[in-house]
Order: sequence, then C-alpha cells, then structure tokens
Amino acid sequence: MMITEIEKEAARFCIEHACSHGAEQARISLSKSVMDTIATLDGEIDKVTHNADCSIYMYLFADGRYGTFSTNKLDKDSLAVFISNALEMVRTLGPDECWKLPAKERLATDARDGNELGLYDPAYLSLTTDERLGFARSMDLDPSLLKGEDHEVICVESEWSDSIDDNYLIDSQGFEGRQTETSFSVFSEVTVQDKEGHKYSGYWWDASSRLVGCEASSCSRKALEKAISQIGPEEMPSGHYTMITDPSVSSRLVSPILNALNASSIQQKVSFLEDSLERRLFPEGLTLMDLARTPGRPGSRLFDTEGVATTDSAIISDGVVKEYFVNTYMAAKMGIAPTVEDISRPCLLPYLKDENLKLAENDINLADIMAICHDGIVVTGFNGGNCNSVTGDFSFGVEGFAFKDGKRLHPIKGMLITGNILELWNHLIAAGTDARSCSRWQIPSLAFGNVSFSA
Amino acid sequence: MKTINDYMDTFAIAPPRLEQLTARALSKGGDFCDLYFEHTTYMNLLLKDGEVTSGGSHTDYGVGIRVLKGEKTGYAYSESTSMADMLAAADAASAIACSPAEPRHYARTADRRYDLYPSRIDWRTAKVNELVRVLKDLEAAIKVKDTRIVKIIARISCSVSDVLMYNSSGELTTDSRPMGSLIASVVFQQNGKTESKSVSRSFRMGAEMLSKELIDELAAEAVSGIDERFEAIRPAGGQMPVVMGAGASGILLHEAMGHAFEADFNRKGQSIFAGRLGEKICSDKISIIDDGTIAGNRGSGNYDDEGVPAQKTYMVEHGILTSYLHDRISAAWYGVPSTGNGRRESFRYNPIPRMRATYMEDGDTTREDIIRSVKKGIYVDEFSNGQVKIGEGDFTFYVKSGFLIEDGRLTAPIKDINVIGNGPEALADISMVAADLKIDNGTWTCGKEQNVPVTCGIPTVLVDHLTVGGE
Repeated sequence: MMITEIEKEAARFCIEHACSHGAEQARISLSKSVMDTIATLDGEIDKVTHNADCSIYMYLFADGRYGTFSTNKLDKDSLAVFISNALEMVRTLGPDECWKLPAKERLATDARDGNELGLYDPAYLSLTTDERLGFARSMDLDPSLLKGEDHEVICVESEWSDSIDDNYLIDSQGFEGRQTETSFSVFSEVTVQDKEGHKYSGYWWDASSRLVGCEASSCSRKALEKAISQIGPEEMPSGHYTMITDPSVSSRLVSPILNALNASSIQQKVSFLEDSLERRLFPEGLTLMDLARTPGRPGSRLFDTEGVATTDSAIISDGVVKEYFVNTYMAAKMGIAPTVEDISRPCLLPYLKDENLKLAENDINLADIMAICHDGIVVTGFNGGNCNSVTGDFSFGVEGFAFKDGKRLHPIKGMLITGNILELWNHLIAAGTDARSCSRWQIPSLAFGNVSFSA
Repeated sequence: MKTINDYMDTFAIAPPRLEQLTARALSKGGDFCDLYFEHTTYMNLLLKDGEVTSGGSHTDYGVGIRVLKGEKTGYAYSESTSMADMLAAADAASAIACSPAEPRHYARTADRRYDLYPSRIDWRTAKVNELVRVLKDLEAAIKVKDTRIVKIIARISCSVSDVLMYNSSGELTTDSRPMGSLIASVVFQQNGKTESKSVSRSFRMGAEMLSKELIDELAAEAVSGIDERFEAIRPAGGQMPVVMGAGASGILLHEAMGHAFEADFNRKGQSIFAGRLGEKICSDKISIIDDGTIAGNRGSGNYDDEGVPAQKTYMVEHGILTSYLHDRISAAWYGVPSTGNGRRESFRYNPIPRMRATYMEDGDTTREDIIRSVKKGIYVDEFSNGQVKIGEGDFTFYVKSGFLIEDGRLTAPIKDINVIGNGPEALADISMVAADLKIDNGTWTCGKEQNVPVTCGIPTVLVDHLTVGGE
C-alpha cells in the first residue's frame, strides 16, 4: 500500500536516465494511493469499490526548455522509452531560461519519513472489510426519521471511504521529500418531499486523517436536517441585507482572493489584485494566514509541488496584502522573489468590526454572529455563479434562511447576490472561530453588511 | 485500421483470459460482469507570451472490472494487465454479490456499427513542431485583429484512447477514440480597464481538425464583441423575460433540464421528473434530444462505455416526456433497452448515465421575431458556471455577455450577472422557439461525479420569466 524501495528505485532511475540522456535538471513525483468505498442506498449496500493507483510525474528541463510528463507504466524498459520520447518532445519546444528547479536552499529538508506532520494513522492498515461495512451501516438513517409531519424521505445515499496516499518527490539536486496521509471520510445526501410534492436535498460530510476522528453515525441525520430546513421557502424582496455565511460554505468568498494572488494570474493581467503587495485593501484587523505546518490537520504539508519548504505565514495581515504565490518560474519571469507555488492551508483569524462587542475571541459561532447582526440572511449554500477574475465583480446564486432579532425565520427562495469581492470584504462585520476542523480551508462564519440580494 | 488482435496485443490479453476473468468476477453470484481495458495517450502544448515553452505527454493504462448484482455495483481496477493483478481486481469487484439483491437479467444489446470519427491524422503520430506552428498561427491571427490585446494564451490538448470492452454476455467491443481541442484566451486593455475572452473548439477528430479555416474562425470569435464588453453594464435585477441565444445557451438545457432526465436520478426518486414518463411537461413546440451519433462531435461515441452502440434519444417529443437516459443498470430496472448513455471518465470509474450532445430541435419562428416580442428583458448569448439542484430543479447561471432588450430591440450590452430559476418551470415557460439550432463545439465537460466530454445546443428561445440578479 505504501511506496516500496523498488518503486523509489524506479523514480531514481527516471532522474538518472533523463540526466544521462541530456536533461540538465529533472524532478520526479511518485504517487501511490489505495482507496476503498462502500456506498449505501436507502440502507442497503449499493456499491463497493477498490482503487489502487501508482504513477510517476516527470518535470524535465533540457536545453533551456521544459516539459511535464506522466505515466503509470513503471517497468524500467517502458520508463526508458517514455523518457527518451519525452526529452525529444521537450527539445521541440521554445527555449525559456526561466524554467529551472528551485534554488537548493529553498527546498524542504525535514520531510524524510513521510509522517512528520502526523497525517498517517497506522489503524488504516488493520481496517477490515467487516469494519468498513460496519462504518457504512452506522450511517443508516434511524427508521423513525423517515417520515415527519411535513415531509417524507425519498432517498438516502451514504458513502464510507478510506484511503492512503503516499507521495515521494525527488530532484536532480539531491532533494528528497515524502508525505504519507491516510483519510477516513463519510458523505450523505438525503432527499425529502413535502406534502405538496416539492423535493429538497441536503448533504453532510466529515473527514479526518485519523480513524477515530471521522464521525460517521450522525452524517445522514445532519444531511436530513439540512434537507428539512429548506422546506417552505418564502420569497423575499430584492434589497440590501446583512449576509452571514455558514462555515461550510464561507470559503467560496475567499477563493477569488487567493486566485487573484497567484503570480501567474498577475503576470497574465487577469487578477484584480495586481500591484496589491503591501497595500491595505482589506479591513484593518483582518488577517488570513497560511498555516501549512500545523500537525495533524488536512492540507498541512512540509513542501510544495516543487519541493520548496512551506512556512506558516501571513497572506493578508491587518488588512495589508503580504504575499503572492510565486513559483520558481514566475519569480524569474517577473523578476520578483519566489515564495510557494500555492497556499496549503488558508486560515482566517477571528474578526469583529465593532471593538465594543463583548465576545470571547476564541469562541464565536454562527449563532453569536446572528445575535450581533440582529436581522439579515444566512447563506448555507452557493448555487452557481462566478467572480470575474479581472475586476472582482461577482454574482452568485444563494440558498439559506432569513433571520430577525438573531432568530431563524424561514428559508429563502431563488435569490442571488451581486457585488465586487473587494467591496464585499470591506463591509466585513465579523469572522467567527467555527471553521470546520475536517476542512483544509479554515474559514469560519462570516458576516457582511449591505449586500445586494436580488429575487 | 486496428484489428481486434491489435487491441488484444495492446492489453496483452486473449479471449480465454477474458472468459476466465468474467467467470472469476461472477464466482460469488453476480448477475453481470464487464471488463473495460483502456490505454490513453494525452498531449498538451501551451503558448504564452509569444512562445510555446511548455507542454507534455501523459500515458494512462489499465482495466476496470465491474460486477452487478441486481442494481448493486462492485468495482475495482488494475493499472496492470498481468493476470494475477486482474484476478485480484475481479475478486474485489465480486464482493458485491455477497450482499442480498433481487437478481436482474442484463440483456444483450443490438449490434450496430458506426464510424463517427474516422481519424486521418492520428494525434500519436502528429509532429510536435507542426502543432507549435498552429499555435503560433492562431496567436498571430488573433493579434492582428485588435490593438487592445495585451496577452494571448493558446493551447492544444489532444488524446487517443484505445478501448476494449468485454462482458459476461460474450459481447466484445473495441474502439479508438480521438479528441482534439484548440483553445485561446485573450486579455484586452482600454483606458485602464481590462476585459478577457476565451474561445475553444473541440472535436472527436485527429490532427486534421487543425485547419486554417478553424484558426481563422477561432481568431474572429476571440475578438468579437469586445467593444460591447468594455461598455457592458449590470442591469437592474428582478423577474423578466429572457431570450437565450442560439448555441452556447444550450448549457442551460444540459444543466437545468438534462440532468433531471438521467435515469439514475429518476430510479432513486431524486429527480423532479421521477414518475412522470408520458406526461406533458412543456409546450408541444419543444423536443429535446440527447445524441451520441453526430460525426466528430465531442460528446459522440461509436459505443458508450458499456459497449452499447451509439444512439439518438428523444427525452421530450413535442412537449411529452418520452424517455430517460439509461445505462445498463437503469435500463434493466425500467425494463427498457439501454439508450447508450453509460459513460465513464476512464477505467478508474464505473459507468453511470451521462449526456452526450444535448440539444433542442428547431421551432417555427425567427430570432428577430422573438426579440421583437419582448418589451423589457435581456438577451443572453453566453452563459457559464451553471449549477443545478437535481431534486428541486433550481438552477443558477452566470451571464458572460448579452444585451438589454428594450421595446423589442437589443440595446445596452450587459455582463457579470446571474439568471436563476427552476428547470421544469423554465422549460414550461418557453413560449417561442426559433428555427436556428446551433450546436456549440466548445470544450464542454460535464462534472457529475466524473468528468466526461459533452456538447450542447439550442435554437434561440424565449423564457417568459426568469430572475435576473443585477444592481
């Protein structure tokens, strides 16, 4: 299940073969994974799958040129032919001296056995088929919940999944890095029908790198609650409302910012955050971190796809943009200092616009924020839409519920929000502390003032 | 032309071993088993800042083994076609038969043969330097058309998949599937404002698709409508009539209605159309088709990924819901023949009902008459980022470009808004259909659990009421 010495030897062979056939530099990524899933439909086993993958990804630099190649045929004869053909292709591409491996001193030196971050659970290896079936069965919905006063359950789909991913990265400068992760996850989707025949669906999921950290038994019930909570939607007039986003969907409003901070977007002039470095474009007091090195957390990693050592760093600090994501190529192309290729684990720190509010900063949840905001709309799901990468103008379909005096009123029906993402963030009222621990993106409940809703 | 033996050689397999594998996979009591061998070679080249300085090739090889017991699925795959590895995968897939299920008879399929993508120049033999030249020609053709251009990215992606399918009914099928895509993204600047546009064409064809005509067509499209984009406004929001332009607006048909016709959602009771076969669901002017038989189309296949020959399926005929889109599982459950919609991303996935080329047939009026009939509304010619909730039928689509309609005329250009509605209600709200059907041959990819190539199309239609999100 984990990468063997023979497979490591195949990766090293790729470096040697490429360099002995004209490559000046090479990087090889060997990935091996195994995944088992058990899906149930209405309480019966519906699908059982077993997946096993092992492939090599090659980054080859020759004659000032560059190409990327991959194959899952890993015997040495096949690899030798593949690499020779790959180098032939590289030599037909245009030269670009900006393509090169990262400077050696930027590479991680502390990822040797693969489990430095504690993302591997040895319990995975002893997991039996019966235990997997047991976890899948534990997700069955209690029969007493199949029919309620205003609804009946039409369909319950659930899935248990466990996997191991082992990644081994080496380059021709002598870099060697490894990361091994296990994952245990559950997903449920429940469809209900109200008395008028309208259908509503809700889903829930949980995941952990530790077997004991994955909560299976409540998954279907939470999906059912999400489905039921949408029954009886009411139309609301278009207008400007306070908007709160549920922590399970808040990341949708952060991703346009992170995309815009990618050096590739900036160099290609498709970023609304061009020339934003060291400028206060977000509210004073707002801080977004990349906490890449937190042990045991999803998304944590000691090195990026180039092998560059990650750091815990501020992307936005006190409202000021502090970092672009700049890989080695883009750094050379743009004449700026390299950082990391991409964010690993974005974490938004708690924020309260009104300094007079008396909330414990280490415990601010959705209900607290509803109480602060009094009236508005809580968004529990985004349904389609887009954010223009050049301007930051966005329009998203939303679902959720209206609230008044901090209390839930009714689900909303067919609403959209529109605006500009930078303006939206400058109307931030609060950011909580309730990000879901199972998520790579640690983005909590958020509240924004004066958001344009259309119906 | 590849022979059956060529395919057998590709996968180092022989008929007795195919039978041995299916027997092993069914040894625990499954009703049906199929094997899906696949060898795919991909290549991509990227032009940026005037040079093709990155590219690569990728090889993927393996076999997927599926066992069905009733409607239940056991699935495993192997990246090796050694007999020991394949037998291990067969054992893993066979485990599904250990759970109780009503046995189901999986019928043989009709024997029809198509040749929907005769490839004259196999991508695997195409010269890289000639493909580089195509990208440079495309860049030059675009650049010369507009002085406001500041960036051009051009890309070729191509692949060939050799596939061998065998099942426990003894059906042996082979196919060699080419796919080529030519894509350009252009950034324009004017008076400190920036706009971008992406255009693409994708076909199940060999490298012969890269003609001068295609380059000229794509270049012209890449710069068209840019004046309007710089002037575009966000209109006031609210409920209003929406005219959907011919072609790319068909993505709304795919997302908001098409998915609800897929038989797995209906078998499970999740779809808004579950249990409504034979009912009138929209105007009798409307017929909706899912078609896998259009030569060279990105969504077409000589066979689906269960070895069922290509078909053209009417889901809605003159307003009546006539068929769901079936794979073998749902076809057996409903007691009808498969419609050839069992598709998968690769050997790593089990097949499920998926669309191919989905479009609405021509109506009886003109685009001009439709626009003239609207006093106040919007005309949309490009949607993106659509999403739909299958059970509720609720959808949201982002409008990349369009126009206001005022007193029957197109006036101010619009952009960056959403339209929101309910699929079945919107379908029932279509009151006019023009006779100008256009299939859009862009790089559409449907992401239901797995990614598969599709296309979409629609004539100009009028939806009487949709919610438009604006200022």
